[in-house]
Amino acid sequence: MSSTDSKKKGSDKSKSTKAVDSRLIQRLYMFLKPYNKLLILALVLTLTTAYLGPLRPYLTQIAVDDHIAKDDIQGLFRIMLLFGGVLLGEYILTISSTYLTRWIGQGALFELRRTVFGKIQNLHVQFFDRNPIGRLITRTTSDIEALSDLLSNGVVNIIGDVFRIVFILFFMFSLSWELSLISLITLPVLVYATILFKRLVRVAFLNVRDQIARLNSFVQEHINGMSVVQIFGRQKREMERFKSINQDHTDAHIKTVFYFSIFWPVVEVLSSVAMALVIWYGGARALSGGVTFGVLLAFIQYVRLFFMPIRDLSDKFNTLQSALASSERIFDVLDTENKIKSPPNPAAFSNPRGKIEFRNVWFRYASQEDYVLRDVSFVLESGQSMAVVGATGAGKTTLINLITRFYDIEQGEILIDDINIKDLHLSDLRKSFGLVLQENALFSGTILENITLGNPEISRQQVENVVAMVEADRFIDKLPGKLDFVLHERGSSLSMGQRQLICFIRALVYNPAVIILDEATSSVDSETEQLVTKALHVLLKDRTSFVVAHRLSTIQHADVILVMHKGEIRESGRHQSLLEIENGIYRKLYELQYKDQLLAG
Amino acid sequence: MMVGGVLFLTLSNAFLVWIPVLVRQTMDSVESLADETVFGDTSVVDILISDQAGWVIAKGVLLLLAASFLYGFLLFLTRQTLIVASRYIELDLRTHIYDKLQRLPQEYYAKNRTGDIYIRATEDVSRVREYFGPGFMYGVNTITRAGIIITIMFLVNAELTLWALMPLPLLSVIAYWMSSFIHKRSNEIQEQYAVLAGKAQETFSSIRLIKSFAREAYEQERFDRESEIYRRKKLRLDIVESLFHPTLNLLVGASIVLVIWKGGLLVMEGVVTVGNIAEFIIYVLFLTWPIAALGYTLNLVQRSAASNIRIQKLLDEPEMRDDMNGTTMDLSRLKIEFRNVSFTYPGATEKALNNINLTIDDAMSVAIVGRTGAGKSTLVQLLTRMYDVNEGQICINGTDIRDIPIDRLRSVIGYVPQETFLFSETIANNIAFGKENASFTEVENAARAAAVYDNVMLFENKFETVLGERGITLSGGQKQRTSIARSLIRSPKLLILDDSLSAVDTNTESQIVTYIRKALETTNVIQISHRIQSIRDADIIYLIHEGSVAEQGTHDELIERNGHYATMYRKQQLEKELAEIN
Repeated sequence: MSSTDSKKKGSDKSKSTKAVDSRLIQRLYMFLKPYNKLLILALVLTLTTAYLGPLRPYLTQIAVDDHIAKDDIQGLFRIMLLFGGVLLGEYILTISSTYLTRWIGQGALFELRRTVFGKIQNLHVQFFDRNPIGRLITRTTSDIEALSDLLSNGVVNIIGDVFRIVFILFFMFSLSWELSLISLITLPVLVYATILFKRLVRVAFLNVRDQIARLNSFVQEHINGMSVVQIFGRQKREMERFKSINQDHTDAHIKTVFYFSIFWPVVEVLSSVAMALVIWYGGARALSGGVTFGVLLAFIQYVRLFFMPIRDLSDKFNTLQSALASSERIFDVLDTENKIKSPPNPAAFSNPRGKIEFRNVWFRYASQEDYVLRDVSFVLESGQSMAVVGATGAGKTTLINLITRFYDIEQGEILIDDINIKDLHLSDLRKSFGLVLQENALFSGTILENITLGNPEISRQQVENVVAMVEADRFIDKLPGKLDFVLHERGSSLSMGQRQLICFIRALVYNPAVIILDEATSSVDSETEQLVTKALHVLLKDRTSFVVAHRLSTIQHADVILVMHKGEIRESGRHQSLLEIENGIYRKLYELQYKDQLLAG
Repeated sequence: MMVGGVLFLTLSNAFLVWIPVLVRQTMDSVESLADETVFGDTSVVDILISDQAGWVIAKGVLLLLAASFLYGFLLFLTRQTLIVASRYIELDLRTHIYDKLQRLPQEYYAKNRTGDIYIRATEDVSRVREYFGPGFMYGVNTITRAGIIITIMFLVNAELTLWALMPLPLLSVIAYWMSSFIHKRSNEIQEQYAVLAGKAQETFSSIRLIKSFAREAYEQERFDRESEIYRRKKLRLDIVESLFHPTLNLLVGASIVLVIWKGGLLVMEGVVTVGNIAEFIIYVLFLTWPIAALGYTLNLVQRSAASNIRIQKLLDEPEMRDDMNGTTMDLSRLKIEFRNVSFTYPGATEKALNNINLTIDDAMSVAIVGRTGAGKSTLVQLLTRMYDVNEGQICINGTDIRDIPIDRLRSVIGYVPQETFLFSETIANNIAFGKENASFTEVENAARAAAVYDNVMLFENKFETVLGERGITLSGGQKQRTSIARSLIRSPKLLILDDSLSAVDTNTESQIVTYIRKALETTNVIQISHRIQSIRDADIIYLIHEGSVAEQGTHDELIERNGHYATMYRKQQLEKELAEIN
């Protein structure tokens, strides 16, 4: 998606690029702002080291001219001590400033991750339908990681490099303006070579990147589809194709190798040329007086020192560009409007009884699609149990999505205790329900954490009571650490039935007004089957419940059965009376899905 | 090429070292000129153009330029040989690996994760290349450059040399230690990064549950905890990374301090000249990178050794048994028999197939039905020799299929797998994949037969439409039909449809089936399906249950029997009735 997206944006981007960039930088700066004072400290440290580095050749000059030339051992010792001090100072300061800027950067990145994660987590469920989870993970991790270079050492280092150049120039000119000019002759050539090289290499790198992608996707695809290649006996042909792609890949690399093998020698030669010029002119100048050997020595070092910050600067610019692309995607997420929010003045709501009413509800997931619910009305009285049945796609799970306000309806009203759910605070509404979903979601963590979901108001004793109530202690007690047994990979070490039980317990410990249950379709192993059935009974006893049912026993015990078909309620009533309807939908469903359970049981 | 590279590199270092020697000589001659003659206030320009002093300086500088140009040119040649050679080594190695991948049996692909195999052919190869490229180059560079420089330094003055070199071994040790530390920590960071991403995934994929229990704050706390660990780990690496360059700088600086201090004393004694000090400073600067690179290179070598071991292991994996000189019997008519066949997937504990016996006569159409996981697909995977049987045998015209060369066996089979796999290529190429040198007319005919022709013609680029990530995505049914076309173009003697029409609507399905019955009259057809509607006309139907044949017969016979098959049929009828209620 990103490739087409960026292409589309490309055209209208050019005009407003500058404005967008500076806005992005401002917004990113908000995450660095808490560290303002430390940033200034980091800057001071960086500037100091930018000064200390170029000081060294200067000290060399003093050592040679003022002391060695004058046989002043004492002086030489002192200046060398100073030299050592400067080295040590530069050492400590560079480490501190580098670490400090990185520390600040990591803090800002942490805050950014937290903000993005929190934002996504609180967005409406529909957002999750539209964005694949992989993309959301990218936003919270790798997109933020791409900002790492910029936030942890980008800006400070750019300033540091600029000042380093300034200081080097300052020292050079203060030693000898003539030699400075002479040694800077090669500079324009170097700058030109660097720019030219960057441009050529950028193009070559783009090609390399394409070739790598092409090669990798060929390999990936052929590992996945190797059975097809083998069964159709096309190994020879695919080998030919692989060879040509592999060759293109190598050629692309060799081309960049060529640029690099020209660029590095050119840089080396240019710095040697600069040195030769210094010796040529400086040597003569030494004879005519005015330039000492010490100055010559200092310049030999400066010439080499000068090239580094210039190369660094051009690299930094590239990081800045790619970081801005990532931050644009991040801020896109942060700017997404939350479509399902609590009302500004929510109605007071406590001790819910759990009466639920649908009044002429119409709903569809997207505005162009067909309606999933058509004019659905029903009342679930407090204390009653309701079972919903129907073929796949009849709209059963949608009912759950609407009661819990994961989505808002288009027409009609949904009421709880005669209050429209849109008038309630979201957390008040959702606290009325204990939800058990089909996928039996568990997290990595202990069983206890999975049950309480970290709610401190739920005591261990409470959990143990409920565990005993549904007889889940039969398997939990066998686990090492019992309730403190750590689940990995979302509980894959437990059986389906055991996972279901944990989800039941979770719903029970919250002691909700209404239990909402989306029964798993897949059958569980016979060992836990009994446990689950019993637990279900405990779960639904003396409680308002709304169940998307797949078990015969659940249905038989329900006070009301709603028969959904193609988005409408077609039949409702108790099990026996529904069975008596001639040619009824329920009767067909019963034969198709539930009758076997009777035989099996 | 490698030999040439080493030669160029050694020579380039010789010229590089000549540079400081020339600097010293020039400076020394300037010094002696200054001692001999008094220039007073002669202008610079006069000196530069003067015969004597000017020529001495110019000669030194010209030699200096010559040396540096030669050095640059040789450096260019070095990179062009050594690095380029490493790219060719990489090319060959990767070709070997891919070739091996094509020869490995499906068992290998089932046992190993796709991601791991992928890394063998990509990352591991790159690592090995780094060893032959940069690793080798830096290694040779360090040895030759350090060898030449240190020799010359000793020739100039042994005492000063010892002082100058004192901090440098430490540099190498620290570079080695740091780069292995960085590597280890980076791996830890990668792991924590995966944990962090996993946490985000866990939360985002259970978002309904979290919202319904209003546990957003708790999830945030848990995410933050992992995020904090990540930050800490990053900072631990940052400490070492912040130490790296300054430490390098400090040690080099220390070396220079020692050169000036000790050199200064020696100048005063008249043993060396200021020119020598300049020379030594340059030597130290020249030695910095190669010596630091030594530590880095050692690390690189270790890592690529690990990659190399993994690659060698892959190259040594056993290939499928293939009797290349096997039978050359006539395969234009096929009688297929499963004789007491049992099979267990490698690593599994339960048998996927248990004592299967069945016979498929020439030009017969056979249907296989059964629940998911009953062993239906396993049957055809054994027949196509994706796997070999554990017990019993499968025979074609009385010969064990293991005695038929694999290529020959498979050349008569058209297999449409359950999971449609198309390549990211043009539709035409995907269909032509089934037959060597297929003509465009053949492609079109196959597309027509598989009832996908009309769909293809609706695309802007018709048969040249590219599929996959960067191209167009076909619907499930279109994919299945393209996959069928790929098999039909082979005009196979045995056509296997492994639940290959599940995403195709019933009308199109019967259209395709009718074609197959008519056009491929002499072909054996094995059709695996969940839909009884589409297989009821088969010559014989096998119902597989838990790895064994539970029922067999024609549709009418099986309905009469009133077993699993009949129940399945009734349920499907009910489903159909339900769907038709409005």
